[in-house]
Amino acid sequence: MPLKILVTAKRVEDSESKIKVDAAGTGIVKEGLKYKINPFDEIGVEEALRLVAKHGGEVVVVSVGTKDVHEQLRHALAMGANKAVWVHHDGPIDQLGIAGCLQKVVEKEKPDLCILGKQAIDDDQGQVGQYLAEWLGWAQATFASKEESLESEAEKAKTPAIQLAADGKSITVIREVDGGLLTVSSPLPAVATTELRLNQPRYASLPGIMKAKSKPIEELTPAGLGVDVGVKLTVTKLAPPPARKAGIKVPDVATLVDKLKNEAKAL
Amino acid sequence: MSVGINRYKADLRELCFVLFEQFGFSEYAGKGCYEGWDEATAKAILEETYRIAREVLGPLNSVGDREGCKVVDGRVKTPKGFADAWKQLFEAGVKQIAVRKEFGGQGGPYSLYALIEELTSGANTAFNMYPGLAWGAAEVIAEFGTEAQKKLFCQRMFTGQWGGTMCLTEPNAGSDVGSAVTKAVKQADGRYKLSGTKIFISGGDHDLAENIVHLVLARAEGAPAGTKGLSLFIVPRVRVDASGKLGELNDVQVASLEHKMGINGSATCVMNFGESGECYGELVGAAENQGLPQMFRMMNGARIAVGIQGLAVTSSAYLNALEYAKDRKQGAPFKQWKDPSVPRVAILEHPDVRRMLLELKAHVEGIRALVVKLAVHRDHYHVLAGRDDDQAAYHQGQVDLLTPLVKAYASEEAWRLCGQAIQIFGGAGFLKDWPVEQYARDSKIFSIYEGTTHIQSMDLVGRKLGQSGGANFTAFIGDINGFVEANKSHPVLGKDVERLSGAAEAFMQVAMGLMGWAQGGKVELVPLNGNRVLTMMSQLSVAWLLLDAGVKAEAALSKLPAGHADRAFYEGKRYSAQWFARNVLPNVEHLAKLAMIEDASPVEISDAAFAS
Repeated sequence: MPLKILVTAKRVEDSESKIKVDAAGTGIVKEGLKYKINPFDEIGVEEALRLVAKHGGEVVVVSVGTKDVHEQLRHALAMGANKAVWVHHDGPIDQLGIAGCLQKVVEKEKPDLCILGKQAIDDDQGQVGQYLAEWLGWAQATFASKEESLESEAEKAKTPAIQLAADGKSITVIREVDGGLLTVSSPLPAVATTELRLNQPRYASLPGIMKAKSKPIEELTPAGLGVDVGVKLTVTKLAPPPARKAGIKVPDVATLVDKLKNEAKAL
Repeated sequence: MSVGINRYKADLRELCFVLFEQFGFSEYAGKGCYEGWDEATAKAILEETYRIAREVLGPLNSVGDREGCKVVDGRVKTPKGFADAWKQLFEAGVKQIAVRKEFGGQGGPYSLYALIEELTSGANTAFNMYPGLAWGAAEVIAEFGTEAQKKLFCQRMFTGQWGGTMCLTEPNAGSDVGSAVTKAVKQADGRYKLSGTKIFISGGDHDLAENIVHLVLARAEGAPAGTKGLSLFIVPRVRVDASGKLGELNDVQVASLEHKMGINGSATCVMNFGESGECYGELVGAAENQGLPQMFRMMNGARIAVGIQGLAVTSSAYLNALEYAKDRKQGAPFKQWKDPSVPRVAILEHPDVRRMLLELKAHVEGIRALVVKLAVHRDHYHVLAGRDDDQAAYHQGQVDLLTPLVKAYASEEAWRLCGQAIQIFGGAGFLKDWPVEQYARDSKIFSIYEGTTHIQSMDLVGRKLGQSGGANFTAFIGDINGFVEANKSHPVLGKDVERLSGAAEAFMQVAMGLMGWAQGGKVELVPLNGNRVLTMMSQLSVAWLLLDAGVKAEAALSKLPAGHADRAFYEGKRYSAQWFARNVLPNVEHLAKLAMIEDASPVEISDAAFAS
């Protein structure tokens, strides 16, 4: 049975960029940074493409933000997604606003399954998938992972890890939990969020990049969708991790042992 | 998953500057045969290629170097991971970007492909030779083959299903290719039976594709001696029928592998054709004795690709050395060098380290500009061909003229500058823990294969300078003079732009001198000064293109607000131009003085006087 899958493509700072806290101490210096698709979302796109390759169907990718997010939408289209939805919003937005927009897009697009990154690598909130499932009243299977390693033959053959039941009405997801894996089953429609070990995303093929140019990007707005994106959560302080302190020299082994025991409490 | 660590670095900001800002990609992309191309697409392609370069090819670079290739049961086994990388590279369509659509490609601009080639070559020079050679061989069939040959071979070779090689060199026919003795005997069915030994065959055998299509230079029975009697033959390792179905083996054997100084992941083979008298091939095209022009078609593409190899490793050597210099602490600040109590500083703070880094930066950027300049001429040629023949001829003429410069200058400088990158690392650079020693070893071959530096210099002085009645050369000098006229009053770079005039004049003087020597009984001065002339023209060209970049960067800089993140990049372009114009360009006039001494010592000295 063909599946319609909705995936997300958040625009995030490239982890190879050097991130600096801004003067106000509530954000980062954005000038000169590189951006890319949230790696967890990219894993979601990959999983959706694998499911569609196996069962048929289509993949719709959504992003919320300024026109810059076209880069991330085009990336997902170049990987193989069929069409894109851009919720155009130029100002600040929080996870409630994002989830609200996604909810409306889902109600419009009516996918069988949504696959989102379990979190974004910029602010690591990890909330949107859960809000979305709750507000839609759908089941959620978070932290989707798999047993096979990323070096396995199944991975090389681009086998989807999320299993679709023979009747096409439910999915089985292996979740990563503390110290092990938990297998859950859920009726469709459902929301899944991805772990890093779910798959190794493909490269956007260069012909795919060419083709992505002619794939449609539909423009919507929060107002048009009837979503209030007024920010309810504000960042009050952002600080870099403390810099490592300089080491000290100890005169002898006895002092070292003493310090390890009493200061560092390592012994 | 690969076992090695990626060390490859590229500066995409700089690549985008050269392609988009300096040479106006959007002026030809989107036009004629390049309809549908634009900057955003090209940028996305460069970014994704760089990712593949770092994640797929880069980690295999040191693996290939250490593991090398082996012959197992008569077949070459490539280093671990190469077969996977081949598959991923072609799946991602990296190699097909500039291939014509009829052969399964995207029909993209060559200027974009030149930078893609920089990224793949730089990440793994040895690996990139396998698909590169398949590409070169397929180009020849696409250009000169019969319709049936194009249909059978081109798409399969361009898309990685089959590999390809160029089998030219023989034990007694290297630079002197006309001495080739491999024989081809015409059979009743029109095929040829080949027999002979070829050496130094890169990728002569490998385990990356299901078949390998060799292009073998051989002499048909009864053909004249020398280069005029050479023909090029298509010799698949496994015989194929007209539908492309693989049949029996074709009596093509790897006799042995060479053990080399560098590019160890690339199998350099001694190949035996027809040892059992069962090696069959077909002529490329329909007529015999066309091998030389066909081979030159292949060689010209390969020569540019070798220049790009030189650029690619030097660029990564520079960026690695820069990172190391920022990190490595050693010595006091130079103004307090006698004070042992001052905290130690990063070696980047030492003037001589900065001098070496700026020398690397300026050369890398200038050579990249030279490569892209050539490629952009080729793109303009393709857009204009059939529409404006005069302009098309001008652009093709510049491609011909600049090819020996790109090949020889980029390769000679790669060896010297990779050595300099090691120097920045100090003792660490001599160790295998860092990538620069491999870059140096890999780069030495660039000035040798596909025509040595001296062969390039003879191509320049013997053919290219005088080609089309000197029109190409005149147009080249005209372009430089036009640039000087337009920019000699530039507020920042004007004085440095003016230095171009003197260098151009000195170079013209030596070019005239060459003709005088050739006609005036001093013919030995031509080869004795050949390499010098090539260096002069290369340094002149690179200085011009760096200053051109500098002028454009200054214009961009003037539009940016203070504190903008891009300002440092554009300021860097100014310093590259300025440094080269003041520290290298004056060398052109100096070299002209040396040439005018007309010293012939190397031919006057007797053999015995060298040493007994």
